[in-house]
Amino acid sequence: MADIERYKTPTSLAEATEILRAGNVTVLAGGTDLLPQTQAGRVHFQPTLMNVRRVPELQGIAEEGAVVRIGALVTITELLESALVRGRLGILWQACDHFASDQIRNAATVGGNLCNASPAGDTLVPLLALDARVVLAAKPDGAVQTRRVPLAEFLLGPGRTCRAPTELLAAVEVPLPPAGFAGEFYKHGTRPGLDIAAISIAAGARRDGAVLRDVRIAFGAVAPTVIRAPRTEAVLEGRAPDAATLAAAVHAALGEIQPISDVRASDWYRRELIGNILKRVLTHACQM
Amino acid sequence: MSETLIGKRIPKMDAPDKASGKTRYIQDLEVPGALHAKILRSTQVHARIVSIDTRAAKALPGVHAVITAADVPWQRPIGVGKDHLPLKTDRVRSLRDEVAAVAADSEAIAQAALKLIRVEYAPLPVIATTQQALAPDAPLIHPEPHGADSSAHLKVAGSPVAFTGKPDNVAMTFDYAQGDIAQGEAEADVVIEDVFRLHYVTHCCMGVSGVIAEFDPNGNLLLYSNTQVPFLHKREFAELLGIDPARIRIIQPPIGGGFGSKLDIYPFEPIAIFLAKITRRPVKLVFTREEEFLASPTRQPVLLKLRSGCRKDGTLTFRAVETVHDNGAYTSWGATTPFVMMQTISSLYRVPHCKYHTMAVYTNNPYAGSFRGYGNLQATFAVEAHMDKLAEAVGMDGLAFRLKNAQDPGEITPQGMHFKSCGFKQCLTTAAGRSDFLRKQAENRARWSDPAPVKRGIGVASMLHVGGGAKIYPSDGCGTILKLDDFAHVTLMTGASEIGQGSETVLAQLVCEELGLPLSAVTVVNNDTDITPWDVGVHASRTTFIAGNSAIGAARKAKKKILDAAAAKSGKRAEELGLSGGFVTSASGERLFELGKFLRSLHFSDKADLVMTTFYYEPPSRHQDKQFKGDVSAAYAWATQVCEIEVDTQTGIVRLLKVTGAHDVGRVLNRLGIEGQIEGGIVMGQGYAITEELRVENGVVRNPNFRDYKLVTAPEIPEMDVSFIETMDGEGPQGAKGVGEAPAICIAAAVANAIHNATGVRITALPFTPENVYRALHGASEPPVWNAA
Amino acid sequence: MPAKCDIAFSLNGVKRELTVPAGMSALEMLRDRLGLTGTKYGCGEGECGACTILVDGSTVNSCLMFAADCDGRELVTIEGVAVSAAGERLRDAFVANGAVQCGFCTPGLMVQASHLIERHPGADEATIRRGIEGNLCRCTGYRKIIDAVAAAAKEKSHE
Repeated sequence: MADIERYKTPTSLAEATEILRAGNVTVLAGGTDLLPQTQAGRVHFQPTLMNVRRVPELQGIAEEGAVVRIGALVTITELLESALVRGRLGILWQACDHFASDQIRNAATVGGNLCNASPAGDTLVPLLALDARVVLAAKPDGAVQTRRVPLAEFLLGPGRTCRAPTELLAAVEVPLPPAGFAGEFYKHGTRPGLDIAAISIAAGARRDGAVLRDVRIAFGAVAPTVIRAPRTEAVLEGRAPDAATLAAAVHAALGEIQPISDVRASDWYRRELIGNILKRVLTHACQM
Repeated sequence: MSETLIGKRIPKMDAPDKASGKTRYIQDLEVPGALHAKILRSTQVHARIVSIDTRAAKALPGVHAVITAADVPWQRPIGVGKDHLPLKTDRVRSLRDEVAAVAADSEAIAQAALKLIRVEYAPLPVIATTQQALAPDAPLIHPEPHGADSSAHLKVAGSPVAFTGKPDNVAMTFDYAQGDIAQGEAEADVVIEDVFRLHYVTHCCMGVSGVIAEFDPNGNLLLYSNTQVPFLHKREFAELLGIDPARIRIIQPPIGGGFGSKLDIYPFEPIAIFLAKITRRPVKLVFTREEEFLASPTRQPVLLKLRSGCRKDGTLTFRAVETVHDNGAYTSWGATTPFVMMQTISSLYRVPHCKYHTMAVYTNNPYAGSFRGYGNLQATFAVEAHMDKLAEAVGMDGLAFRLKNAQDPGEITPQGMHFKSCGFKQCLTTAAGRSDFLRKQAENRARWSDPAPVKRGIGVASMLHVGGGAKIYPSDGCGTILKLDDFAHVTLMTGASEIGQGSETVLAQLVCEELGLPLSAVTVVNNDTDITPWDVGVHASRTTFIAGNSAIGAARKAKKKILDAAAAKSGKRAEELGLSGGFVTSASGERLFELGKFLRSLHFSDKADLVMTTFYYEPPSRHQDKQFKGDVSAAYAWATQVCEIEVDTQTGIVRLLKVTGAHDVGRVLNRLGIEGQIEGGIVMGQGYAITEELRVENGVVRNPNFRDYKLVTAPEIPEMDVSFIETMDGEGPQGAKGVGEAPAICIAAAVANAIHNATGVRITALPFTPENVYRALHGASEPPVWNAA
Repeated sequence: MPAKCDIAFSLNGVKRELTVPAGMSALEMLRDRLGLTGTKYGCGEGECGACTILVDGSTVNSCLMFAADCDGRELVTIEGVAVSAAGERLRDAFVANGAVQCGFCTPGLMVQASHLIERHPGADEATIRRGIEGNLCRCTGYRKIIDAVAAAAKEKSHE
């Protein structure tokens, strides 16, 4: 393990991004992945360890116009306890309810979950379905600048994002879904939360008479990153969710995923699950 | 009379400290001046060690010793099979193999030093399956002797100095037969045959393995150890070191879980001792969780072919079994589980003709040890599947079929087991009745063609296990020393170890029952071989029975001594007197003497002698003969468990909803304790059936962590309805029989039967993890086939 | 040079000042530096809950927390929970209900349960089960632990 040469605890976004600008920084937020990952040798510390816990700009959940801004340091427990999240971002709330254990939910942050970029990341699947975008902050020339990146572009591969080493993930912004939008998050495992998803699905839509509108579908653990399923969404958009449509949706979904075999599931089983569970989730969603 | 303690809910004596975080486990012990040790394990599954370079590690500041096999040429083979050296010499045979070890000022330094050790390997072909191991041209895993370089002057009688090697990959074989199998087949109207595959699981004690070794200036060894068998291990360590066993003292700090994992000597213990000897410092060695997964024993994976037959009227006529056990690279207790398996095959139900053949086969996999139930989970899984299939074939319901073949009290089986107390039929009828088994079974079956994806199932299985000690060694004894101080405080020194199961409390309770004292009047000392009397260890569900009888013996001696003295003083006859509520009492319950005062008067007289000793050695049981026949236990425990499940046919997820258990425990001594044993066992059985699997692929453990090795968590546990069948065993302490292993044994078998009841699909391979079940339900699995050579 | 951090925090109600390596976990600090061995190492990966402690009133796995991150915060370990009125009540419930066997997981469960009861007085069975899903126990099968927590939670709700 490489030694940590400096430990920094910035108290503002400006200070944090200044430290990042100097380079070679490992960012510490909730720490729930960092410590075991470094001890197992899967992640190596940079010379500077920066604990961002005291950066106020990274805190809080707020409704800003048609967008919910969730600070990077917001913990999973805070999301679960937020009436706004529960009321308007139901599939995100459900994913938080299926997230690890109470002890981990109390420490783990949404920013950490996003930056880990696990293909099975629990909050990533609903956030992707909800068209979330991340806010990245940097201080290239004396002033803090931010850029917004759609989550789908942020995630590049397992553990890889487009965050530059000098950038800090400050927040995630989630556009409020249209009124009447409802959905379901499904995580495959035998335990309620303390499982790494073998597959996960976030699906939601709005009922418009007999047909579905604003269909959003995302999958976890079936590709190098969590993925949206645009062709599946297109099959369902504007249609009544009858058996033929559901079958067509499954067919489309199976064309959009590229699962692998690992210790948790085979690629074959992941495909079967996506087919079976997508139907089930859509049926539930349509009954809401 | 004071109220009896028997059958009450007695809280564990050690619980307040444990719940307050005050209990110091081996991980928590600090011995002044101790060094910290770490082991370098092989990175190869099977390879020759070409060279080991420890120079850089030795040069690291804070490192006191770096050792390899070359530094301990006097080391000897260890373990049940005496087939491996603590530090491997020229060959590694599994990924866990110990190649070098470091003692340093801190764990971090020791860890850093490991990284500086350079080992060059020349890979050898990996034997990953028993089939590969038994192939005619298979490479051998133990072709050469090892440990042969030990010097002659260390020779201790009876101790192999070296392992001579094996000409094939067969570690052990067992053959058992009763009756005439051909006749049994001829008499059968229905014959069925299936192959079953049982998987790897491991103990997952919450406290990881650890040891502290320290020599005094005279060369006496003090070992802080989690062993379940301190007295037997004294001898083994003595042989290993070539010293007199009398110079070894073992202290057992409170143990963070045992379940059979601590019955053998594993290389880390001798290695810590070597380092202590070489550095002349105390040495502490504690595993990481990953190490615990990689380098502690497993339950033995088994491939089992079972052929059974019965008459049209449902009478079993024969059972023929062949099994192959994956022994792993070395031989520990796992290889000997056929002792227990064949009991279930031959004697759970009445079977006149029986044949059993098994081999334990060396592979390059992790090696199997003893684990709660000891082969019985595997045997019961197969036998109970066939009980369902045969019942169906002859058109009987599963309950009636089992009742027809179930053992009765008084039965002496062809294998020689004598069931003096036997509540098997009550177990069957109680569990079936309380769960409404037959009605639900019929209802579930009627819904096979329903379109609903989630199906319900109910299944039953029963078990037989030793419950009155086990004649594994020439004797099955346990000693007790009991002293009475002058305030009527009792110190009970027992050879029986507490591993969380509650033996300390139940032994104190049995003593209090005799002496009419409250539990608070007893201190139990049970963890120091210099103080406690001899015992053969915590295993085979024997402690309550054997140590309990021993404790009662000591208490009765004390009682007699007190009452005799009280008789002399009061002029009454001793037989009229009793001990109750802290007093010597008369027949009418009159309080004659306050016990503390009375004992004080005895102590100040010249007749006190208030130290009692007893041994309970020889329950009426026999060592098995060479044909594996014999009445190995003084009593046998019985149980029936009915499992209700839900299976989601679209995901393969099986949920265990309810377990209705009926256990013949002889008699309930501590209701709280026995419920805890049974509930814990049920959930451990649930893990074996549904959630747990150590994934070993080409000798590599793929999931050495709690993330992917899934213990059952609180939200998953079933509703549990447990009944106790009290058969009042004549030899048992207050009528009780052992129960520690029983509750874990039937669950997988009952769940398998329940899955069949839910879906019509019989799965003969464990575990019932979602993908395995899904594959089986959708014809995409590879059912086990008999491919032993 | 590996970074050292000067930290000040409250531990079981007592102010502490300490210098720790930046890479040290809170678990190591508690056990190896401060001698508080009630908090157990079970897995080092946040999967078993044996190392559960309270930080600013919420439970976390101390094996996942950097010791340096304790700066300015309020820590309560099993040693602190055990001597509080609520902790004593919970301990008595664990003892009376048979929730303790080998006991290795018990301190972590005690801390987690105390937090659960604080948040959900009178918690029902389902809430308790979910509340302790991050604590592994290999001995008891959880039944008696759930009963113990329910008993203590009920007492709390009657306060």
